[in-house]
Amino acid sequence: MSPDLTQVFWPFSAAAILLFVMGTYYVLVTFNLIRALIGVEILIKGATLLIILAGYVTGNTGLTQALVITLIVIEVVIMVVAGGVILCVYRNNKSIDVRELRSLKG
Amino acid sequence: MLPLFILVPLFCLILLNVPPKAIVKRPAFWLVAALPLVQVFLTAFHPVAVWDEIRNPFNSYFIFNLSVDALSTVLLLSIGIVVFIAALVGRYTLSGETQRFNFFNLLLVAFLGMNATVMVQDIFALYVFIEVTAVASFILIAMQKDKPALEGAFKYIILSVVATVLMLSSIALIVMAAGDTSFAAVSSAIRAYPASVLVKVAVNLFLCGLFIKAGIVPFHGWLPDAYSAAPSSVSVLLAGIITKVSGVYVLIRMVVTVFGIEQSPQAVLMFVGALSIVAGALAAIGQSDFKRMLAYSSVSQVGYIILGLGCGTPLALAGAVFHLFNHALFKTLLFVNAAAVQEKLGTVDMNKMSGLSVKMPVTGATSVVALLSTAGIPPLSGFWSKLIIAMALWQSGQYAYTIIAVLASVLTLAYFLSMQRRVFFGKLQEGLENLTEARLGLILPAIILAVVTVGVGLAFPIVLDKLILPVQNILK
Repeated sequence: MSPDLTQVFWPFSAAAILLFVMGTYYVLVTFNLIRALIGVEILIKGATLLIILAGYVTGNTGLTQALVITLIVIEVVIMVVAGGVILCVYRNNKSIDVRELRSLKG
Repeated sequence: MLPLFILVPLFCLILLNVPPKAIVKRPAFWLVAALPLVQVFLTAFHPVAVWDEIRNPFNSYFIFNLSVDALSTVLLLSIGIVVFIAALVGRYTLSGETQRFNFFNLLLVAFLGMNATVMVQDIFALYVFIEVTAVASFILIAMQKDKPALEGAFKYIILSVVATVLMLSSIALIVMAAGDTSFAAVSSAIRAYPASVLVKVAVNLFLCGLFIKAGIVPFHGWLPDAYSAAPSSVSVLLAGIITKVSGVYVLIRMVVTVFGIEQSPQAVLMFVGALSIVAGALAAIGQSDFKRMLAYSSVSQVGYIILGLGCGTPLALAGAVFHLFNHALFKTLLFVNAAAVQEKLGTVDMNKMSGLSVKMPVTGATSVVALLSTAGIPPLSGFWSKLIIAMALWQSGQYAYTIIAVLASVLTLAYFLSMQRRVFFGKLQEGLENLTEARLGLILPAIILAVVTVGVGLAFPIVLDKLILPVQNILK
């Protein structure tokens, strides 16, 4: 790694790890379904940042750009489906609290 | 030729959605049922080598390479069988033409995604198609919009996204090490730096993601909820093939072809496999919900596959893949039986039923076939795959795991016999005197699967020779 690369590498990794920690913390502490969704969204952002960093480190930015754009599209699809599920939960329960979702046990 | 396995379902999907709905709603079932049947015919009766020789004009449009080896063939065959059965069950259990039409469309999406997953040769494309399958299954689970279904779907979405994040981080690290995402490049990079911390972290992250997808024990929380809350036809699809393809197949593919057995944590694989076998079986004993019990049984059976994979010898791998195939057959059969029971009684609570065999003889009889096969009673198909796994474990000196695998079979028999006695045998529950056998559309898939299970068991030398043993060749 050249000195120039090292200068970029560590801040990027630190930011990605920070996003992972934030996302995990957020998913674990919240009782709100939408917030849980935002938490996992932050997690995916961390992964996206890591892929961009991988492209920068290997100098293969063309490949990783393609990967990241595909990833963003897939992520949007998942979030829309999850949003739809949350909407239906709200219509059923009149609440989006995780604690209401405890009917399945065993 | 190979891209056709993806392009034909895609084309059919467009065909179903462009014309006015009124015209296509009725023929949708025939289209969706015909495609997997054609696939079963192609994979069962035509050798793989023929397909690669046929020149395909689509190669210039696809930048990812598709290829089929013995492992993919087994999976393509199972996908064909299970999707066909799920289409049949869906036709006869879902109410309302619109809901059925939606189901068939999503079934096609899942079919396409699974076909692509077993053929791609690139880790990122693999991720994309796992996700295509997963999104289809999220919507399928939540389709009826009742409270348990939404809860099951949401749990599945969250855990699936976590699995995705683990896989994506691993892909990022792999790109850092290999500079490319194709299987060949990744495989050579990982073999070149076996001691690198980056590679070790990447391999373990990917495996963790796949453990979630496959529902292996420490990560199995979503699986019973999703299976039991989904509509019965969706449970058939999920339990029969979706988790097998997006979890177990990918695990086998990554460990064997991409990472290489030596670079993978074999001890961890065997440990979680054995843990799944025992914990799944113990949890299944305590269930009173029919579908939930089958879900825990699924966890337990997947444990056998992972145990065989962790052992790593060619024989163990063949046994694992054979068990994967068998499990797709008999677990689908059991879920079809659950669908028939749910259809007639409107409940899957095992305390509210007994003696159903008197009124539903076919369902009761096919269920016996499936449970004996799952528990590994000769000469049914499940016996041979478990025997191969146990033999391979013993040969490689894993005596403790062999004993666990064999003894857990007794546990399997215990919970299934208890289920059979509570649901199908004994005295008929009061108030069920007017019960009749489920309709032909639900009996037919059960009979087909029971015949195939018995047939595979009896003709196992042929099946083993033609279908399963070639799998050993992927272990280079």
